[in-house]
Amino acid sequence: MPPQGVLAVVHACARNEMDATRISELVTQVPSLSAELLRLSNTAYFGFSGEVTSIARAVTLIGHRVLRNIALCIAMKATLKPDQLPAFPVAEFWEMALRRGVCARILAAEAAQDKEAGFTVGLLQDFGLLVMFYLNPKVTNEWSRLSELTPDTRYDLEQQLFNTTHDRVGFQLAQAWSLPEEFTIAMGYHHQGTSAEIDKSSVELCKLAQCADWMSAVFTSDNRREAIKQSRSLLLDYYGISSEQSNDLMAQVAVSMNEAASAFRFDLGEQVDFEDLIGEANLHLVEENLSFQQMNWHLEHTLKERDKIASELNKELDLAREVQRSLLPDESDHLEGIAGLNVSAKVVSGDFYDFYKLRNGKVAFCIADVSGKGMNAALLMAKASSLFHCLGKSIHDPSKLLAMLNREILETSIHGMFVTMLAGVFDPESRVVKIANAGHLPAILMRGSTFDSEYPAMAPPLGVIPDARFPLDELRLTSNMHLYLYTDGLLEAKVNGEQRLEREGLLQLFSRYSDIPPAMRLLHIVTDVRSSGGRVDDDMTILLLKG
Amino acid sequence: MTYLIEEKNDYLVVYLEGEVDLSCSPEARRVILDCLQKQRHLLVDLSRVSYIDSSGVASLVEGYQVSRSKNLNFALVGVSDNALNVLKLARLDQVFPIYTSIEALLQGGS
Repeated sequence: MPPQGVLAVVHACARNEMDATRISELVTQVPSLSAELLRLSNTAYFGFSGEVTSIARAVTLIGHRVLRNIALCIAMKATLKPDQLPAFPVAEFWEMALRRGVCARILAAEAAQDKEAGFTVGLLQDFGLLVMFYLNPKVTNEWSRLSELTPDTRYDLEQQLFNTTHDRVGFQLAQAWSLPEEFTIAMGYHHQGTSAEIDKSSVELCKLAQCADWMSAVFTSDNRREAIKQSRSLLLDYYGISSEQSNDLMAQVAVSMNEAASAFRFDLGEQVDFEDLIGEANLHLVEENLSFQQMNWHLEHTLKERDKIASELNKELDLAREVQRSLLPDESDHLEGIAGLNVSAKVVSGDFYDFYKLRNGKVAFCIADVSGKGMNAALLMAKASSLFHCLGKSIHDPSKLLAMLNREILETSIHGMFVTMLAGVFDPESRVVKIANAGHLPAILMRGSTFDSEYPAMAPPLGVIPDARFPLDELRLTSNMHLYLYTDGLLEAKVNGEQRLEREGLLQLFSRYSDIPPAMRLLHIVTDVRSSGGRVDDDMTILLLKG
Repeated sequence: MTYLIEEKNDYLVVYLEGEVDLSCSPEARRVILDCLQKQRHLLVDLSRVSYIDSSGVASLVEGYQVSRSKNLNFALVGVSDNALNVLKLARLDQVFPIYTSIEALLQGGS
């Protein structure tokens, strides 16, 4: 049973003579309902001006009928919780229920009937089915089959599976909850429609429910042509709505679904556009009657589909890029005497650098390059950089840190992928830098504008062999000394046509810009490489420590 | 990049030639893994490789790792200077068994 307090509100709302003050009192007694009501009153869905802060005002503004819908939504959700039937896709069920509600509401508005009552009956009409699943968890796996059927075939299958149907169970449920009579009857008789001997207002609700069921099936059923055909025929019979008008109504469904879902807090999958559905139904006709127009439509549809996929992919990639960007230090992480720069050749990068201050005042830093490119490289990059950022805070010895990262990456990485990484710790007090190099390009130490020395890898990259050791190098970074770490994208950048920059070219750039502040210097170096007429095929990353 | 596969004693030998970069390393990878899938010891000849990038090296690393998991032998032979420089920079010359030629390997040399 749903919470009694919520039902009391449902009943109160059904009685027109009940005043707002009394209803507000009832609402106040149910915290979940009060909270939901206030939240909803302040959503764009209702568009009230000014913030609604009191229950009484919310009740007055929203009105009895909408309040009843909110209370029913809460009651339904509270009655049957997903964990009671773990394997059942409850969210899918709610989405279908909401779609029927939305269809009935749109139709009621068109037929000059009470649209909130329409919404309620659409929402409730198949509730019995959910209860049937809760009582017969063994048939849970039949849901996917049922959900794809049109209303009439689904009804038959229900009878076979459960030996009863959702309208009968729904009717009993509505009686048990003492729902207003017209809803109880609509829940029980919407499959009989006009043939049952029931009062006029219930007949109207039954008609709405029946139409909403078929309209909703247009979006979910495996036989869309039949659903469209049947919907059109019912709308014409009951309301004199033409095919064209019915198309317009259907087209409103997806938009209204999104609005209603966000207002009533349903999680929805993507809503299918009605025009696409119509087109898809027409596709079957192509097989029977190959007309040029339809072939043309098919082509357009395919192109539209392609554009849609491309745009979705781009969104995903943008998101991936955002995530990657967030892994790199930004301006707020500024530290004196250290700077880094990453330029990606593609949307996502396999390179990264990091630096941050340790609790003892020293600075941890690293540069790394993941083998290969594309999304798998980007994911490994995300993993390696997170490991460095996290473990580097407690393991201050670069040699031990790399050994730990090597084990972690080997454990889970895909065969063949590896990470070259040069990691270090800089002590600003003593100016001592300790570094360990796992298969990465040599760090280059410059004294002013001249080359001093370099620190090549003494161990293979991370993720290649277990038990690798990563010997430590130590140097003092006195004033006028600059330590550069970089990735191969920089060395291999093609300058002046096909010629690669190589180590010599890079040293010249280090030398040329030696007296510019670190961040600006890196920008100059990279800009020089990019503007020298060459292509950038790889990510370029560079990190500078200034003594 | 082009490749050739030859049988020598207990080994399959894959000869790679040209530039092994991102555009063709998936092919190099497939060739290497296919050979190992046949449960054959494998040699990869790099004497005619003019350029290899990290994705190409990754194919070799994967071959090496898969061969170990299958208890098969895997070695590089006749590595060109360019390829050797790349391997040395990353210290992967410490990881792969490298022989000057197939004959040297078969005769038990270095």
